[in-house]
Amino acid sequence: MNTRTFAHRLDQAQRADTAEVPAAELLIVKGLCKQFGGLQAVAELDLDVRVGEILGVIGPNGAGKSTTFNMIAGALAPSAGTLTFDGELLAGLPAHAMAARGIMRTFQHNKPFTSMSVRENVMVGMHRRIKGPLWRVWVASASTVRAERAAAQRADELVEFVGLAAWRDADVATLSFGQGRLLEIARALAAEPRLILFDEPAAGLTPSECERLSIIIRQIASQGIAVLLIEHDMRFLMALADRVAVLNFGRKIAQGTPAQIRADDAVVKAYLGDLGAMADA
Amino acid sequence: MRDFVELIVGAMASGCVYALVALSYLLITRPTGVINFAVGEWSMVAAFGGFLALSRYELPYPVGMAIVIAAMLVVGWLTERFAVRPLVERGAPALAPILALLGMLVVFREIVSVGMGPDPQPVPPMFGYGRLELGLVAGSYQSFTIIVVTALVFGSAWYFFERTLAGRSFEAVAIDRRAAALMGINLRRVTALAFAASAAVAALAGLLVSPNVSAHYMMGLPLAIQGFTALVIGGVGRVEGALLGGLILAFAEQFTVRYAPIPPGLAQGVPLVLLILFLLLRPTGLLRARESRA
Amino acid sequence: MKALAGFALTALVLSALAFMLGSYQTDVYRKLLLWVTLALSYNFLFGIAGQVAFSHFTFYGIGAYAMVILLFQVGLPLPLAILAGIGLCVLLALVVAIPATRLEGFYLALATLAFAQLFIVVLNEGGTVTGAAGGLANYRLPEVFGMRVTGPWYTVVIVLLLLGTLASLWRLDRSWFGRACRAVRDDPQAAQAMGINVTATRIAAYTITSAMAGVAGMVYAFVDNTVNPPIFGLENSFLLLFMVIVGGSGRHAGAIVGAVLLYLLPFVLSPLIGHHHALVFGLFMVAVVLFQPKGVIGIWDGWMAKRRTAP
Repeated sequence: MNTRTFAHRLDQAQRADTAEVPAAELLIVKGLCKQFGGLQAVAELDLDVRVGEILGVIGPNGAGKSTTFNMIAGALAPSAGTLTFDGELLAGLPAHAMAARGIMRTFQHNKPFTSMSVRENVMVGMHRRIKGPLWRVWVASASTVRAERAAAQRADELVEFVGLAAWRDADVATLSFGQGRLLEIARALAAEPRLILFDEPAAGLTPSECERLSIIIRQIASQGIAVLLIEHDMRFLMALADRVAVLNFGRKIAQGTPAQIRADDAVVKAYLGDLGAMADA
Repeated sequence: MRDFVELIVGAMASGCVYALVALSYLLITRPTGVINFAVGEWSMVAAFGGFLALSRYELPYPVGMAIVIAAMLVVGWLTERFAVRPLVERGAPALAPILALLGMLVVFREIVSVGMGPDPQPVPPMFGYGRLELGLVAGSYQSFTIIVVTALVFGSAWYFFERTLAGRSFEAVAIDRRAAALMGINLRRVTALAFAASAAVAALAGLLVSPNVSAHYMMGLPLAIQGFTALVIGGVGRVEGALLGGLILAFAEQFTVRYAPIPPGLAQGVPLVLLILFLLLRPTGLLRARESRA
Repeated sequence: MKALAGFALTALVLSALAFMLGSYQTDVYRKLLLWVTLALSYNFLFGIAGQVAFSHFTFYGIGAYAMVILLFQVGLPLPLAILAGIGLCVLLALVVAIPATRLEGFYLALATLAFAQLFIVVLNEGGTVTGAAGGLANYRLPEVFGMRVTGPWYTVVIVLLLLGTLASLWRLDRSWFGRACRAVRDDPQAAQAMGINVTATRIAAYTITSAMAGVAGMVYAFVDNTVNPPIFGLENSFLLLFMVIVGGSGRHAGAIVGAVLLYLLPFVLSPLIGHHHALVFGLFMVAVVLFQPKGVIGIWDGWMAKRRTAP
């Protein structure tokens, strides 16, 4: 168990050298396909997410973003293609096995555990870290109590990091939508993930909440966590992402830095009906 | 041969009773998603109502039956109004109405037990205790009555759901409650109607089955389990499923008792084993619900 | 350390009580302790793990019958019978858990209801093995090293069973496992995303609590020295559910309060309503669900909170 505090690590990362070191590819998606009956939702998709980078995935409605997201998160089995995480082939693993490997996700429609407080919700996120063999719960109770206390402390730090410190013991039903989103993030971070998948995190947030969210995601990436971000809000994503992949009709039509994407003809064509959004980006 | 046909007729009659109980569940489950454990007790109360009206006060059958069914319509409406509606409108978890109804099951049973005592009471059949014999077909008057009445009920139910506007609104509420409300369908009225109708159908089942088994305050739960088994077998989504499930269950039961080389007591396990198997292997039942068609 | 002292003290007090009671009171006391034990384990299954099951009392019966059969028909010596009985309870619980936990909500309730009824049918048709409808009787707890645990000492055994069950459940509840059970109850999809194996969690919760009920049943076998089918029928399964809900589902204290209340109430009310205490239970149940879903414990909590904020 990592005894260094989250804040401490964050601090270190921010002070670290920003020298150019080619980051390793943590998640490699190759030839990903998904077919629903006669409909090809995703076809021959290649993506890669590097350690410490924010990869944004955008595309018009129906482009296959959610389907792709769910396949990577383990909620949907791919029809074809491979997912390699840190060199390991993830062959249609169930969602909890993905999480056990350090791939965490947030939900677009917040899904908090309604019977628990904010802190307890975050502690659930730590499951993969503090879970042990069941019999130890009865036998080695002293160490279990210690582990629980340490977990509660880490949960408090995370709650503070996302800005929910005042609501630590609150019933989740009392949180606003934006606060619920922050809880989603704290919960995902609790597992000390190596890759976080954000499912339209800016959806439903006020502009100031989006700002705060941007800062938090930046800080997460600077920690060395790989971030895959699916988003509809162009302005938010273009300002935040290091690289962007654009999907349309289930295929990747462009990939590059935000600046390159803005100038890409294919992307402009795909969004032709959405010139307003492009102008904003 | 006639013996065999009589067995079939008897099984069909049993199956019809199960089907009615299954229909009773369905009428509530479809629009509200609530599983009404108390359905069996409604049948039981109606059976005792039949005993009072027909045996004790010796009213003519149609009058007695009408009174009992009217009374049960009110009971159904009251149950919804006071035990279910407050929960649904408060946004209580889905389990809450089911638990409340479970409590009501015990309350109904105890009230009857206090009022009528622990002994079984006789309820007269609609057309007396005679037998009908037409060529190969043979069976008691009651068996044929049950079959005919059930056919009528299911026929009307099918017509109601398929052809009338009111019935389609039930279906709409079943498919999507919120959307139905937005379309202007009066949810309260649909739910109240559903409970009342369910009670009436359960009452009919009670009146029809009790001539054979007597009205007894413990008869509710076994009937409820058999009815639910019929529902699960036939398919929770369709009216026809209730009928199919009831018949299949009854046939499985009767044929096992008659022909299988196992002690008759063990045959009571047949509906239970069937229920468990279906829940595990095919919980949606044999007939698909309407909205599963693309 | 404080907890251990608390438990020891409670054990002492409850055991001392056993030595002060007459024979009729002892019978009531023992059964009360057993009901509290059952309510605690059922509360974990229903209130914390969120599984609506009617099989709990059935496992109680399985444990009781298993003990009697292992001792007096298979002829095992007591220590071996105890081990075999516990092993059997765990194994059977696991065997039922694996298919059962694939079912959700009401379907689980139905399947366990059917299972409970099936148990009664099997008992009734069990011939000489189960004693059929009459059950098994006229047996006594065997001697071990020339000693037989009877009277108040057997009550002490039940006290230890109760406290052991409570301690185990408490530890489970306050660990990552308890949290995982609640998470699975609240939102299985989100729980999966957190790395919780939903199926394994459900199976573990069902197996552990059902096995606990079975062990309680093994102890029960020597309380009345008789086991027969009506004892383990559905009525008692419903009563168990009512106890947990009326007391306050999800809380250990709630289970204790509910069990004590609903078990002792008939004795208090019997001059008024004779055998029909089930009517009162049903009404309580409906009242709690409608007006105070948190149960009696919820009323207590509300009252305590008001006192705290009062000037």
